[in-house]
Amino acid sequence: MEKMRMMLVDDEERYLQTTQKLIEKKGVEVLTALSGKEALEKLKSKNIHVVILDVKMPEMDGNETLKAIKTLYPLVEVIMLTGHATVDSAIDGLKSGACDYLMKPADIDEILEKAREAFEKRQRLEEKIRIAQSKKFMRSPREILKDDNE
Amino acid sequence: MMNKKDSRQEEQGEQVKRSILNNMIVLPFIPFLLAIGVSFYFFTTALQSNTNSSLKRIVNDHRDMIESFLMERKADLELITNTFDFEQINEKESIDLIFENLKKRSNAFVDLGLFDSHGVHVSYSGQYQLKGKDYQEEHWFKEVMQKGYYISDIFLGYRNIPHFVIAVRQGTGEARWALRATIDTLFFEGLVSKVRIGKTGEAYILNKNGIAQTLKRSGGIQILEKDPDASDFPVPENGIQAFVKSDFTGNTYLYATTWLKNKEWLLVVRQEKKDAYDSLYSALYISLIIMLIGGTVILMAAVFMTERILKKIQQLGREKETLGHQLIRASQLAEIGEMAAGFAHEINNPLQIIKSEHALVETLMEEVFETLDPGKNEDMVDIKDSLAQIKLQVNRCAEITQAILKFGRKNETKQQPLDPCRIIPEIVQMIEKKAMVGGIKFIKNISEDTPGFMGNPSQFQQVMLNLFNNAMDAIAEQHGVSGGVLKIEACHKDENFLAIKITDNGKGISPENIEKIFSPFFTTKPVGKGTGLGLSVCYGIIKSFGGTMEVTSEQNVGTCFVVTLPAIHQ
Repeated sequence: MEKMRMMLVDDEERYLQTTQKLIEKKGVEVLTALSGKEALEKLKSKNIHVVILDVKMPEMDGNETLKAIKTLYPLVEVIMLTGHATVDSAIDGLKSGACDYLMKPADIDEILEKAREAFEKRQRLEEKIRIAQSKKFMRSPREILKDDNE
Repeated sequence: MMNKKDSRQEEQGEQVKRSILNNMIVLPFIPFLLAIGVSFYFFTTALQSNTNSSLKRIVNDHRDMIESFLMERKADLELITNTFDFEQINEKESIDLIFENLKKRSNAFVDLGLFDSHGVHVSYSGQYQLKGKDYQEEHWFKEVMQKGYYISDIFLGYRNIPHFVIAVRQGTGEARWALRATIDTLFFEGLVSKVRIGKTGEAYILNKNGIAQTLKRSGGIQILEKDPDASDFPVPENGIQAFVKSDFTGNTYLYATTWLKNKEWLLVVRQEKKDAYDSLYSALYISLIIMLIGGTVILMAAVFMTERILKKIQQLGREKETLGHQLIRASQLAEIGEMAAGFAHEINNPLQIIKSEHALVETLMEEVFETLDPGKNEDMVDIKDSLAQIKLQVNRCAEITQAILKFGRKNETKQQPLDPCRIIPEIVQMIEKKAMVGGIKFIKNISEDTPGFMGNPSQFQQVMLNLFNNAMDAIAEQHGVSGGVLKIEACHKDENFLAIKITDNGKGISPENIEKIFSPFFTTKPVGKGTGLGLSVCYGIIKSFGGTMEVTSEQNVGTCFVVTLPAIHQ
């Protein structure tokens, strides 16, 4: 089974470093990005399953980044990390396609738990896609060739 | 400072009072005086013209009456002279007979005499000895011989008593003769002065020289005396002259005069002005009384109304002042809230870092601990304890910032109609178990006609839970685990509001604390147990629903929170 690979996006460098260490200690592979742009850059080259995204960031903020991620990589699951105590600011994120949200300050365990849930969700989705595709191939084996041509 | 402000306000109040009072008095007085003045003016002019015309009418009637009397008497004599000739009348006794007959026609005749062409009184019937006297040089005789008839002024004559005569002539040349009758002055006077107008109305006759021909009822002048007032009477040309004049006694009279007897006599009818205008004076008195009473009423009403208006103004002023204070307080609260929210938001990021650092340290310590020599365990326990403390305190900070953010957040939640009959029981259900454990009797009394209101369900739930939890804490402190009563009531307050009331029998709130109960960061709970934000958050939420929150409390008896919310009209 595939291992989860996640990415932390926050403008606080120290937070990224520490959290990365902690998560890696738990045996989960984790990348970091200091801004939305960097995150999109890394998503281009690496296969990432779950993104933990801070809402409040300079330049490109969390919601913008989220929208960009969702249009470019719809299968990537995003969890919003919000400084606002209210659900409302997270609701916007959820509406734009985030799968969950976390309140600052969040425990490492909390972050990992939510990330795992999101990963499972993604895996279930990928599973469904695989089944659907294999059904398609079974109906018409030529489809494989077609897929290759594209 | 306070005194200065007070005195200035008082001065202002005094000014306002004066101007209101002035307006209240002056404005009603203008139409009031106009009404009285105009009606008085029209009344007096109507009365004056009325009095004048009635006086003129009386003069007119009276003149006709006197003229016809004189003409009748003249006609009586002419009847005799036409019926009998000089000899017939001159016959012995016959003049007495004629005079008897004449007296039957009118009681005005006093005597009757026959005169020949030389003015000798040839025959006489009457009580004076005038027979044989020569009248040739008398004025009346000359006149009658010339004109054919003559009515004299009052004169004394041979008998030396005021009287007047009517004479007629018959025949021409040497054969001329005349018949003369004397008119009873008393009778004539009675006839003239018969006029009665008011108390002082009187009629009298003057000749053209102003000599009194009859007596005035008011006295003052004898017959044949000159009337001192007559000299400056305006002369009536052909009709009737009416005028106002003061007589020599100083009284003012209304006069009406007209000529009699070919402008030889002047008929005067007069009435004292005071008498004629009697009703005018009563009208004046009534007007004055009305003015006095009306004025007093207006004054009293003005004073009364002014007092009331002023009281109202003062009350409004006070209300405005309290409203101003409230506004200031509200805006201060809002500012504090915003500031706190920004602050809390910024604090969250470092807190997040601390938290992750702590987690890292904790993990690393676990690893180090395993490799450590057991002798140093004690220190490790201290370090662990310290780490746990860091975690606890960070969490506490997080709790505070979250509460602040809830409080300071702008109203961005969606509101929806909420039915208190449904949502309150739902919330109550959530804490009923906890209440039971605390030995608290829960009384629910939500009347079915309680109207709905606009609000956010989770926020409303937050408010209710906060109030319930506070109440249960207060009960626990007062009663321990039995004897607590927590009451929740909801009902229609008035047309536009509903009220939700939460009453407990807990330890109550002291009067000095009740003032600060909705202020942020105010708490009576021990350090670390409460943030002091609960009620201020509730207050903010209820305010965002358009409602108000009030509290009454008595120490050791209980507390009552009343949430008032605007009702939805169906």
